[in-house]
Amino acid sequence: MTRTLFTPIAAVLLLSVSGCGGDNQGGQASPPAPPPAAGETPAAGADAQASGGGTITGTITFTGARPANAPIDMSEEAVCKEKYTAGAPPRAETVVGNPGVLANVFVYVKSGLPAGARYTAPTTPVVLDQDGCRYHPHVFGVMVGQMVEIRNSDPVLHNIKAIATKNRPFNISQPAAGMKTNRTFTAPEVMVALECNVHGWMNAFAGVRPDPFFAVSGADGSYGITGLPPGTYTIEAWHERYGTQTASVTVTGTESKTADLTFAAR
Amino acid sequence: MRHHPFWQSVALLLIAYVLIVFGIPMLPGSALVPKSVVLQYMLTVLVGILIWVSDDEARWTRFKEPLHAVLVESRLKTIRNGLLGALTLMVGCFTYSQVRASVAAPPNLRSIHPAPPSQLTFRGKTISLTGLENPLRAQGDMATHLATGRRVYYQNCMACHGDYLDGQGHYATGFNPIPLNFQDNGTIAQLTESFVFWRIAKGGPGLPREGTPWNSAMPAWESFLTEDEIWAVVLYLYDATRWHPRTWGETEGGGHD
Amino acid sequence: MTSVFLLAVALLAQDTTQGKAVYQKWCAGCHGDTGAGDGEAAHYMLPRPRDFTGAIYQIRSTASGELPTDADLMRAIDDGLPGTAMPGWKDRLSAGDRRNLVAYLKTFSTFFADTSFRPQPIAFGSAPGGGGGDEALRTGRLFYDSIGCRKCHGDRGRGDGPSSPTLKDDAGLPVFAADLSEGWRFNGGASAEDIYHRLRTGLDGTPMPSFSDLLDQQFLTDEQLWRVAQYVRSLSPDAPEVRDVIRAPRIAGALPRAPDDSAWNDVDRYWFPLVGQIIVKNRWFNPAVSGVWVQVAHNGDSLALRVVWNDRSQSPDTAWLAHGGRVLSSLALDEGSAPAPQPWPDQLAVQFPLTIPSGMERPYFLMGDRTAPVYQWRWSSASPAAAVAGQARGLDRFDPAAAGGAGAQSVYDAGQWRVVFTRALATPDSASQLQFQTGRAIPVAFFAWDGSNAETGTRMAVSTWYFLALDEPVPARVFISPVLAMTLVLVVGLLMVRRAQRASGRQP
Repeated sequence: MTRTLFTPIAAVLLLSVSGCGGDNQGGQASPPAPPPAAGETPAAGADAQASGGGTITGTITFTGARPANAPIDMSEEAVCKEKYTAGAPPRAETVVGNPGVLANVFVYVKSGLPAGARYTAPTTPVVLDQDGCRYHPHVFGVMVGQMVEIRNSDPVLHNIKAIATKNRPFNISQPAAGMKTNRTFTAPEVMVALECNVHGWMNAFAGVRPDPFFAVSGADGSYGITGLPPGTYTIEAWHERYGTQTASVTVTGTESKTADLTFAAR
Repeated sequence: MRHHPFWQSVALLLIAYVLIVFGIPMLPGSALVPKSVVLQYMLTVLVGILIWVSDDEARWTRFKEPLHAVLVESRLKTIRNGLLGALTLMVGCFTYSQVRASVAAPPNLRSIHPAPPSQLTFRGKTISLTGLENPLRAQGDMATHLATGRRVYYQNCMACHGDYLDGQGHYATGFNPIPLNFQDNGTIAQLTESFVFWRIAKGGPGLPREGTPWNSAMPAWESFLTEDEIWAVVLYLYDATRWHPRTWGETEGGGHD
Repeated sequence: MTSVFLLAVALLAQDTTQGKAVYQKWCAGCHGDTGAGDGEAAHYMLPRPRDFTGAIYQIRSTASGELPTDADLMRAIDDGLPGTAMPGWKDRLSAGDRRNLVAYLKTFSTFFADTSFRPQPIAFGSAPGGGGGDEALRTGRLFYDSIGCRKCHGDRGRGDGPSSPTLKDDAGLPVFAADLSEGWRFNGGASAEDIYHRLRTGLDGTPMPSFSDLLDQQFLTDEQLWRVAQYVRSLSPDAPEVRDVIRAPRIAGALPRAPDDSAWNDVDRYWFPLVGQIIVKNRWFNPAVSGVWVQVAHNGDSLALRVVWNDRSQSPDTAWLAHGGRVLSSLALDEGSAPAPQPWPDQLAVQFPLTIPSGMERPYFLMGDRTAPVYQWRWSSASPAAAVAGQARGLDRFDPAAAGGAGAQSVYDAGQWRVVFTRALATPDSASQLQFQTGRAIPVAFFAWDGSNAETGTRMAVSTWYFLALDEPVPARVFISPVLAMTLVLVVGLLMVRRAQRASGRQP
């Protein structure tokens, strides 16, 4: 039931979050459009910006007992509760998609990119929407310097607090529907936590990267990173509850490599 | 009018009043002078002035002239009656305020440095206080002792005695008597370390009656700290405030004056 | 040019070297040797000491997420943060020491590394007129509601909003929404200007956000935000003065036994601060109740004692259970390991000696001891319409009186308990209960527990001994003595005048 509700929102998001690894809700690893930034201003050393490039895809699997997905108690916020006609959604951190896969995993290239490579942030913003007293998307990637457009679609007070160490943390408020605030991050950081203190259940995570090579696993556990220059990469997958997993992948041309990662229940 | 002893006296009184009420609090480290003390000072000044004016026969006569004039001269009748009426009313108000039912807190007469016992029992061990020096001064590494002392102080003492050791911790206002100010030259600066050890080990409940043990919020630290921890925090108190403890050579009876 | 730069570097180095010495001596005990807010005292306080390594500061003049200005840092050092363990250092350290300290604090974080960058304070402007007027306060209240202040701070500003139980700071530690009716405890000051500045900047590191975006996007005018600040200011009295003796007026007829009886409006109220019980095991370093307002009246037969205190929760409240657990696990406890939180009730105890002392001596203020018991009235939210009278002999022993105890009525309303205790001045069992007398200074003390804040047993807030004085009926001598004195003065005065006039009449 969560998914039926989530899909239309995610579809909107996919449009706006193109190029920075939004939720892949489609069920297959539809690779996001090539990052507009890649290749726009190739700096010295960034010699592998050719469109196309290599692709890493994979599925994030999950082993062990599936955690209880207790529904959120939204009784304090009637306006939000009303948006869930089929019942309250569970907390996003515990969403394990179809049995055995893990959604909302941030996958990025941790190392292996040419030293000194510079990538320009896309001019399109990442949209973080507050709707039904939840953040959409729950996990997203954004490039250093790329705009994050924070929107409030709820007619209630949300505050958006960023907890960061490499970036300046902030805490702003949006007490009215229709408010939009733009924020950027200045340094790579995996992850910047975002939370709403008015609604203790609302949180989101932003992976701030200096490059466009990242993705977030969808409800089917799949992800895809495209446009990679040839090289050997360490990719890391991050989940808010189950920690991190890494894999080493070598990309030589325009082929698609597979890197499945597994998280265990704890 | 000029140099008339009566008006000179009045002027002197006024100047003294201004100095006491407004001047003294402006001195660094001074507080407002309590009303009772102001009254005391003013009476002293008045007596001084009276001695001065009555010292010389001519001056005394001149001094009395305006007083006498008010009493007898018919042109000053209004002033005379006014003064008499005002005086009567003042006495009436004063009497009323004295006999009116009002209950004040009983005075808190408290011996600041009560006499210490000659010995105490620390967790079953008898320690003789007379002639006792801080054992940590003669053993181990002073920097380590001070680090221990600082830890003990910050974890246990700071809430009341404050991070500046001036008795103004964030819990200080909740207690009466307020916590001791170690920066003041009247507290640990006057005491031997064995006295401070006794006060820390036994706290408020261990005070003799003249120390009003029922009011003191000082815990008996023997139930929280070891002997060495207490000696270490004693070292820290003196180190942080730069006071020196009194030694047994200087004082008899453990430092109480 | 280079030499100027080198000189600047040298000066800065000197500042930080001297600042470090001051820091090590006076700051490191709480803030830690490396500035990480992890000094030896850190686990004995909530909120924790500031962690300087993240350069996240609550009290700033800059926008949310910006670094503070040097003046902001200086102000926090000078004035301290009211309501926390941070004192003001203006009278304790020299101006030079404090300046050097600011320079040294900035070395803890790389965010300050770019010394060419100067944080820009927000141009706050000044308050529009009419701040104290009804119209302004009505506007302020309107926007207080519409921008969601009440979500955390509650309907009456007592920090009891629906989101209050879940609030955490950046480190995940529990944090209370400010009780807006106790302005003297505001970290950044209590004036309307201070409050407006906090609304604009937010309190970084805490759940309190900045509301500046509302102005930028014209959802609110600057004047409306000022009205909110002025409304918040109106919720708190000035810092109350602590007076030692509660004067209980004698009133004719029935006593106000109901907590919200309008007769209480005419009875003077007294503020008594409470602090954590840090005297006997197990100590408590995080009391939730900061003080009690007390009013007493009597009618010659009985007395009524009203205690009003702010408490963010009507305990037991399961919504607060997790908060209690977070509080317990974030503090150093004499218990060793943190006990599991339970749905404890709120409690209040009013304490007297068993007999009115004739001299100075009283029972031990902290619930007496084995040899000298105290007389107490105990009230609990578990049975809110009753009080238990009895004797305590230390924190661990309470013996209820057999009969004729005190009555109680209570009301919980928007983050506040109001409890009225009543008892006859004299009781039949005079041996086990205090016999009240008019015109005497009767020692009295107060203890409070917030069950949702994990307070039970020795984990509580305590006061020292204060006094209660029940007014006596006005005796005739109160009026006769002044009249006698006045007559005497008048007669003597007239005699003096007459004598002087006679004497001068004879002489000329």
